[in-house]
Amino acid sequence: MPETKVLTAGIGEANLRDLAIYRERGGYEQWRRAVAEMTPAQIQDVTMKSGLRGRGGAGFPTGRKWSFLPKNDRPRYMVCNCDEAEPGTFKDHMLLEETPHQVLEGILIGTYAIGSHHAFVYIRGEFRKGYEIFMQAVADARAAGFIGENIFGTDYCVDVTVHRGAGAYICGEETALINSIEGRRGEPRLKPPFPAIKGLYNEPTVVNNVETLATLPHILKNGPEWFTAVGTEKSPGYKIVSVSGHVKKPGNYEVPLGTPISELLAIAGGPRDGRTIVAVQPGGGSSACLFQEHLDLGYDFDTMAANGTMLGSGAVVFFDDTTNFVEAALALVQFYAHESCGQCTPCREGGHWLEVTLQRILDGGGMHSDIDMLVSVSHQMTGLNLCPLGDSIEPFLASVVKRFEAQFRAYVRTPERVAVPA
Amino acid sequence: MSARVDVKLVNLTIDGNPVRVPEGTLLVEAAKAVTTDIPVYCYHPKLGPAGLCRICLVDIEKAPKLQIACNTTVTEGMVVHTYGEKVDAGRKAVMEFLLLNHPLDCPICDKGGECDLQDYSMAYGASASRLADPKSSKPKAIDLGPTIVLDDERCIVCQRCSRFDEIITNERSLVVKDRGQRDVIATASGEPYRSNFSGNVTELCPVGALTSKTYRFKSRPWDNARTHTTCTQCSVGCALNVDERYGAITRTMSDEDDAVSDGWLCDRGRYNIAFYGDARRITTPMLRTPTGEFVQIGWDDAIERWAKHLRDAVASDGADSIAAIGGGRLLNEEILVLAQTMRALGVTHLDWRAGRQRQASPGAYGGTYVDLETADLVVAIGRPPSQTAPVLDLRIRKAVRNGARYVTVGSHPSDSFVVSSHLARVSDLAAHVESATRVAFVWDGIDAAVGAQAAELAESLAARGTHVSTFVASEQSNARGAEALGMSPQNGSADSDGIFAAARAGKLRVLSLLGVNPMLHHPLGASAIRDAIERTDFVVCTELFLTETAKLAHLVLPARAAFEKSGHVYDLAGDVLAVNAGHTAPEGTLADADMLVALAAELDVTIAAPDSLHAQASAAIVATATAFGDPKFARASDATSETIGSKGDARNGVRIAIAANIFSGGGSVYFDERLAALRPSPTATFARETAATLGVHAGDLVDLVAGERTLVGLVAIITDTAPSGVVTVIDGLPDAPANEFADGETVALANVRSAERALTAGAV
Ligand SMILES: Cc1cc2nc3c(=O)[nH]c(=O)nc-3n(C[C@H](O)[C@H](O)[C@H](O)COP(=O)(O)O)c2cc1C
Ligand code: SF4
Ligand code: SF4
Ligand code: SF4
Ligand code: FES
Repeated sequence: MPETKVLTAGIGEANLRDLAIYRERGGYEQWRRAVAEMTPAQIQDVTMKSGLRGRGGAGFPTGRKWSFLPKNDRPRYMVCNCDEAEPGTFKDHMLLEETPHQVLEGILIGTYAIGSHHAFVYIRGEFRKGYEIFMQAVADARAAGFIGENIFGTDYCVDVTVHRGAGAYICGEETALINSIEGRRGEPRLKPPFPAIKGLYNEPTVVNNVETLATLPHILKNGPEWFTAVGTEKSPGYKIVSVSGHVKKPGNYEVPLGTPISELLAIAGGPRDGRTIVAVQPGGGSSACLFQEHLDLGYDFDTMAANGTMLGSGAVVFFDDTTNFVEAALALVQFYAHESCGQCTPCREGGHWLEVTLQRILDGGGMHSDIDMLVSVSHQMTGLNLCPLGDSIEPFLASVVKRFEAQFRAYVRTPERVAVPA
Repeated sequence: MSARVDVKLVNLTIDGNPVRVPEGTLLVEAAKAVTTDIPVYCYHPKLGPAGLCRICLVDIEKAPKLQIACNTTVTEGMVVHTYGEKVDAGRKAVMEFLLLNHPLDCPICDKGGECDLQDYSMAYGASASRLADPKSSKPKAIDLGPTIVLDDERCIVCQRCSRFDEIITNERSLVVKDRGQRDVIATASGEPYRSNFSGNVTELCPVGALTSKTYRFKSRPWDNARTHTTCTQCSVGCALNVDERYGAITRTMSDEDDAVSDGWLCDRGRYNIAFYGDARRITTPMLRTPTGEFVQIGWDDAIERWAKHLRDAVASDGADSIAAIGGGRLLNEEILVLAQTMRALGVTHLDWRAGRQRQASPGAYGGTYVDLETADLVVAIGRPPSQTAPVLDLRIRKAVRNGARYVTVGSHPSDSFVVSSHLARVSDLAAHVESATRVAFVWDGIDAAVGAQAAELAESLAARGTHVSTFVASEQSNARGAEALGMSPQNGSADSDGIFAAARAGKLRVLSLLGVNPMLHHPLGASAIRDAIERTDFVVCTELFLTETAKLAHLVLPARAAFEKSGHVYDLAGDVLAVNAGHTAPEGTLADADMLVALAAELDVTIAAPDSLHAQASAAIVATATAFGDPKFARASDATSETIGSKGDARNGVRIAIAANIFSGGGSVYFDERLAALRPSPTATFARETAATLGVHAGDLVDLVAGERTLVGLVAIITDTAPSGVVTVIDGLPDAPANEFADGETVALANVRSAERALTAGAV
């Protein structure tokens, strides 16, 4: 199965940052249709029928998420999550930089659909280029009358506020993101209350991923049936997959959900010459590894879940037979320990514990008991935390320790546990 | 009160026990109804759930994984297990993480013995650590500010301290800095942690991470003997536990369930304890000889002399030649004995007012603390309650948290952190009261004319159905008791102004001053008071220390302080609160009640025994419900009822605003060696543009002059919040007594010298 370009169509061929060019290709027509011809309820209905699932990581059905908003007159907000910091993920900022108007059109449609008049776009601090491009797009769209008062002659008004983060992975978590926009410390909020009830500025709020929202114009244009016609029953539609690791052509590839992992590998140029893929992490740094025998699995939310891992944000990392999994494990553990906001005891202490242990193993001071402990500590810290970050270490670490235990044991110089001088 | 809504009850099962609690109850609270004490670190009933420590895990049937009890609301039919294999495993895991890098220095930790971490590690902790690497080491003694030290290794990042500072005080200076394992409690600004409520965080801290400088390494909890009593440092009357060891007070702690304080203490009440054991306490009666020195005399001799002077004065010049001032710092029983003894002699010149305050009763609309925290508009008139009645201000902040607006009126901008508007005059309130349904007025009781305006407004609001409650935050802790129990002038007898005037006219033979320091606080000013005392034949002063007033007296009697005597006081809401002796008084001292009983006996006056007077005191408050701002309480000489607006003309001089500060005063704070860092130094605060007009720079030394009267050597402070055309000075500082000045009068600036020049001059 080849690539199927929907969100990525035109990238590399035309300058989609140019409003005129974007409009020539039908841009903002769905925004016009939405406001001028459809009610918010109709758009919600279309989205629900399309079966679109969130592209931010959890794969939660977008239509259902919107339906949790209370039916009242309180102000409510649409927040577009462009914090994109999940290890291996690089699709959102590509959309932001290459097709900013498509992203903006999607945001506007989503905002209208949930009955909101104010969208916030949270852009990761490091994405300076994307931020500047997007700000220009917002200015151009405002000048063209797509943002502001009386959109398309109706009495609908909408505003867009762009907020830059300061470079913390945890601020991609929706409630930490909300705190960050409010100027508070970027740490997740206790739930309940959920954002749909009490989110940004304590008002009902929807947080959606860039890719999720950018898909909306296409669903409006082509109808929900077009979307459900591809992919699998429970994972309909197209997905941009960020493929990286030991492949010849790492990059973003847009494919129907359900495409076999081996196909993704092929699209990305296959393994390096003379190498074999021994493992694949299919859904970002927080997902468990799959192995050679899993390469024929279809890449969709449910197949991944059924095999003990997840599709997550759609970041697929291939590992070939040259991989040092102890180093790989340390790199990821270090990331999570460094990015833990530190609120919860297990995440704060557990991540740090695993990091120093892995470092010591790599430095030659490991014991066999340490390797068992890696598994037991990462398991013990899972399921006890306030947000999913604390549960993110176990999947990868446990899966590679189990599969490549020999690599870990090979580092052990001190076979028995002995007292380590403090 | 708003109508009570019917609460729906929810049935659930906790560890096999049926439980019925109101809808919306948190599981952690519901469990208290049965048996189980679910362990918590970050949860606190007054701070709410935070979900951080994860120790409160419980097993809820049908839930996929363990849930935290602190953020789970009960639902109908819920089946909960608070112990068992699954729960224990979860809590053991959390405990292992908590103890992983914990220093386990319990033997030298002040919290040892009352530490939640220590307690729960007995239940869930493993005996050996699985950590093979060195524990991460962190700073052990971070100086957070003038009162608190942080041991970062012990901190479990429960955020109770920072949440207290955000939710309860609204000051928002304490935060968690950095993240992950590197996180640390600090101030957002990097400046020292300064708050008038800082001590509360040491009690909230579930471990020994936050400790009070006054208590560090002083005692182990189990060596302390504890007495429950009432703080008498201000008119709020917070419940307080006094801990004593080897005859010395080691610390004071709040009472979590106290309805008056809501479970909090201010730092004045909490930390002002070293004066009890200060070597400068007077411990023997002292008589001034004709040459001016004091000689020590015995108690019998002292009481006899006091009685003799009183008797002789009655005989030679009649009871009108006798006066007594005091009561605002005494217990109810003491006030009654004082008033009875004096009245038995025919003395009518009795007054409790030794400072600026004129009235203590809140009148017919006197409110409760619940009225205050459920108000939707709180109006503070005059001095801000944050300085005069600190814990009352936390109630106001609570009201604001519940949605109230807080408006201050007068010359003193409040530092309460929650003020929504500041107005110059009571008449400016019209727009603000319009939409309010429950209005609370907090008045400082000083300017009777302003009080009368507020009373009129309160009356008109009440007449149209608005719920009104009134409060007076007094200068002296038991002013309300003194006013109610017979220490107010009656039927034309002289108030303290009149008493001092009579003294200066040579008409007074004997003046008894009980626990008051008019030299520092009376608005007539120190020179007039000195003159009055010098022209009186015999001045008796009951005191703890040789204050500026006691130094001038003829007979000084060593008194006892609050923790050294038992009885009752009124709080500003009119509740009668018990004061219990929890500290052994220095030998040679007597409570005022005992001195007065001895005096009455010497005078052959029959009075009731002090401890039989409690019931009498309880009934009295109702009888004295005078109107808020009753004009009869106005000072005859009141020239400054007009509040300070923007009228001050900086070119010709500035208007002086005389501010209250919780750490000013010439007694307990002044003689407390450990409070040096909290005591304000004499300052003059200007608005930026006022300072510019006057040519004053921050740090300059300035003098203020009005005629003969001066305030010398004030350090200039420049802020953006000060009213323009005004210089604010602090009242009640022995090194720069501001009571020579009337609040709001125009003063001239003199002798402005730069800090540098001042330094050199000092060195020469
Ligand atoms: C630690 C953490 C980091 C996250 N980072 C991101 C992110 O960078 N971008 C994103 O869209 N969602 C991220 N999420 C998921 C968001 O919380 C949220 O579920 C998502 O933005 C919802 O969008 P969707 O429904 O369109 O998928 C993160 C979640 C966690 C727990
Ligand atoms: S799990 Fe980790 S990142 Fe998430 S809230 Fe807890 S400490 Fe912060
Ligand atoms: S210092 Fe104490 S109260 Fe503050 S976060 Fe640490 S453990 Fe909690
Ligand atoms: S508010 Fe008043 S009564 Fe309460 S602790 Fe402070 S000084 Fe004592
Ligand atoms: S007490 Fe429940 S998480 Fe801390």
